[in-house]
Amino acid sequence: MRALAGACLLLPGAAFACALPPSVILTLPTGHYMAGAALTVALTAWMGAAAQRLPELRAVPVMERRILVPVAVSSYLSFLCFLGLVLVGFLGPRDPMHNLMTLVFWTGVWIAVPLASMLFGNLWRCLNPWTAPVRITRSLLGRQGSIGLSAFGHWPAVAFYAGFVWFQMISLSPDDPAVLATVALIYWLVIFALAVAEGETWLEQGEFLTVLMGYLAKVAPLWLDLSGGRARLMRGWPGAQVVRMAPLDLSAMAFITLALAALTFDGMMETFWWHGLIGENPLEPTGRSAVTWVNTLGLLGVWAMTSVTLWLVIHLGRQIGGAPFAAGPVMLSFLAIAAGYHAAHYLVTLLTAGQYTLAALNDPLFRGDALLGLPPFYVSFGFLTDQTVMPLIYATQFAAILGAHLLAVLLSLRLVGAVRALAHVPMTALMVGYTILGLWLLSTARSG
Amino acid sequence: MTRQLIGTAPSRRAVLKGAGAGLLAAGFVAPVWAQAAPIKLGFQLHRTGIGAAYGRWYERTAQAALKVVNETGGIAGRPVEIIFEDDGTDPKRGAEVVEKLVSQHNCDLIFGPLFSHVVIGSAPRAGELKVPYLVCSEGFHVAGGMLNRWSMQPGITDVRAQVSSMAPWVLANLGKKVTMVFPDYAFGHDHRDFFTAAVEAGGGQVIAKIAVPPTETSFTRYLPQIPSDTEVLYHVMVGPAVLTFVKELGEFYGTGARPQIFGFIDSLEAVDIAAPGLEFLEGSHFWEGHCRAKQADASDHETVYRAAVGVDDNGASVSDAKDVSTYAHMFSVWETLFIIKAGMEAAGYQSVADRQKFVEAVEAMTDMPESLAHVQGNKVFNGKTHQVFGHQFISKVEGGKLMKVHTTRIEDGMYDDAVDYTSQSF
Repeated sequence: MRALAGACLLLPGAAFACALPPSVILTLPTGHYMAGAALTVALTAWMGAAAQRLPELRAVPVMERRILVPVAVSSYLSFLCFLGLVLVGFLGPRDPMHNLMTLVFWTGVWIAVPLASMLFGNLWRCLNPWTAPVRITRSLLGRQGSIGLSAFGHWPAVAFYAGFVWFQMISLSPDDPAVLATVALIYWLVIFALAVAEGETWLEQGEFLTVLMGYLAKVAPLWLDLSGGRARLMRGWPGAQVVRMAPLDLSAMAFITLALAALTFDGMMETFWWHGLIGENPLEPTGRSAVTWVNTLGLLGVWAMTSVTLWLVIHLGRQIGGAPFAAGPVMLSFLAIAAGYHAAHYLVTLLTAGQYTLAALNDPLFRGDALLGLPPFYVSFGFLTDQTVMPLIYATQFAAILGAHLLAVLLSLRLVGAVRALAHVPMTALMVGYTILGLWLLSTARSG
Repeated sequence: MTRQLIGTAPSRRAVLKGAGAGLLAAGFVAPVWAQAAPIKLGFQLHRTGIGAAYGRWYERTAQAALKVVNETGGIAGRPVEIIFEDDGTDPKRGAEVVEKLVSQHNCDLIFGPLFSHVVIGSAPRAGELKVPYLVCSEGFHVAGGMLNRWSMQPGITDVRAQVSSMAPWVLANLGKKVTMVFPDYAFGHDHRDFFTAAVEAGGGQVIAKIAVPPTETSFTRYLPQIPSDTEVLYHVMVGPAVLTFVKELGEFYGTGARPQIFGFIDSLEAVDIAAPGLEFLEGSHFWEGHCRAKQADASDHETVYRAAVGVDDNGASVSDAKDVSTYAHMFSVWETLFIIKAGMEAAGYQSVADRQKFVEAVEAMTDMPESLAHVQGNKVFNGKTHQVFGHQFISKVEGGKLMKVHTTRIEDGMYDDAVDYTSQSF
């Protein structure tokens, strides 16, 4: 058959081409926008390097109070919800757009929670469905020791994340409710067993969602510091948390490069450019089954290229600067880029598939309930072809990408420390390149 | 898993209201199926993948038709359930969906797939499992003999009939020297081949065939290839670059003279034809499988259909005037469900053991008069080729609206049988 001008793929797990049904965007002068953004990033870097003075990025306490809902409680409730969703995945409607397992995971956990965390701090900390079960089980078993998993740093999380990315972007049916429920349940059990053996805190370096959500939330202007029984609400410019983080070790750096590569390839594999490269017709792509291996290679290739490029840039910067600044702190600046990409990337999916999620939460049994108090409504995608709304959406994505890169530039200037201004050139060039790449992915012709 | 359309399917009252004075009332029976086991229909849905935009409307249409069928007595007094399985618009997954619907969900039959490559990848499995497989695909692969005894297309005409039935009117009203611009793959080739043949048979001439590689997103270097003596420009560009195509075509011709322009609505299915950037199409003509703008002579049945699916008089969602439906194609889902009902009732269908009887009952169908079951218009089914034939519409863009100027005769789209499925064994 044929592709629609405003076609739209719905779930991130099912390809998120919805992240930009590009028909309207293709008629905009996006090349100029990209050039403008690239120039802005370059100028910011130049001025920042020349000024020798950067914003302080202070963290300011706003208020402090007793913790109202302990993490153990919220985590346990979250765990119960997870079990409920797994059941819905197995027993509920087969249509992914009517099944809460698929909808809540791909639009809620994968998009809404990270986006909200980028504004309000790490929400995953209280939603983590492992924390309470692990704590309870360990105390029931009287277990306190570990099995040495922590020695592997973030590598387990890297491995699990890589598996997840493959499942999301390349496997045949990540949106199928039963498939998703099966995978989620197995993954939960594996992590549960490992965390019971190793200890609750291992989740923060071994479980990929915990690691990823924690990283993405580091750009939030608001966050909670928990200590003892007290919660302290903090505020600060985006990045204020990042500069307070410990430098990343090699495994954490690998995690960041994987996040960047995954988001890049997720966008890239739907472009006409990629289809042309692998010999698929973008107007009638065969489907996932035909591109499993070539896309697996593509994903690995992009990961390798991202890693090599980052290594080269840091190496060059050291050569030029004449001072061996550490890679660990500098890599932290890429957290901003990962967060900006994630937000821009999945914004439209949230606006489209999110409607199905709302409808399904409002009326989970499809019998006319209004649990959220919403009147019955048709899921509406008219805005995707609206010539006013779509440019606004692109503008929002543009702002997210540009903002993320400006932040990344500032962070890298700070985190590199005192070196010659010229030493920043390779990193700045990379940031400019990433800005252009990100905006191009959001504006080029894509399949779907 | 029988359930409401997400959000709202119109209430029974709304449907009735749309129907006028109790059009459906005669069919209403109080649900008496408390004890009857439901008929389970599998729907192979392009929920994700390249077909998702069609899939959304196909599901909505199926849910609406299901509601009407159940409110008017179900199938032979039994309630009907539809189980929607996503095939990801992928042929391999399509075959798995067929398998799953049959062996896991025990569906009586399967219907609904649209994209040709998925249908072609899935139909053999349906044949092996001996399950009726009713496609809504438009492809010539059904009547062309590529599928099997179990695969049928009773709800929508095929591309060969659609394209060739356009030629007589185009030649008589728009011009005899035609230039075709089409994407360079199977879909475009079908148009090129069937329309060229029909034009030549009608005494016209295709003076240029401009094949555009599918990966192109700008067309300025192809447009100068349009010969200046072109009387009719036939275009079937599809995909995200269609708006760019129209814009560049407008810039190419400027305010000067331009040929008559004829296109297939596939290019702009689900797109508001009055949207900014499409002004150049004003005054041009389109094939429509079903007129998205409600015409003055629309039947009461179509009115009911629009209300049931939740589509306004412009072909957009009643809740969002910008959300234009895939109106030219989605009637096929509605009509196919009613054909399933008619076929099962004619076959005395009781259980999966009667699947063969069902196929034979559909093969025996011929005339399908315009009715609530055939809201797009009357049709003729060819049991040998498993393909239905019907009317096509030519609409002109007037004031940003598609207004019907011609309805083809059913015979205009007919051609010699290429296959006799009834001679194949089950």
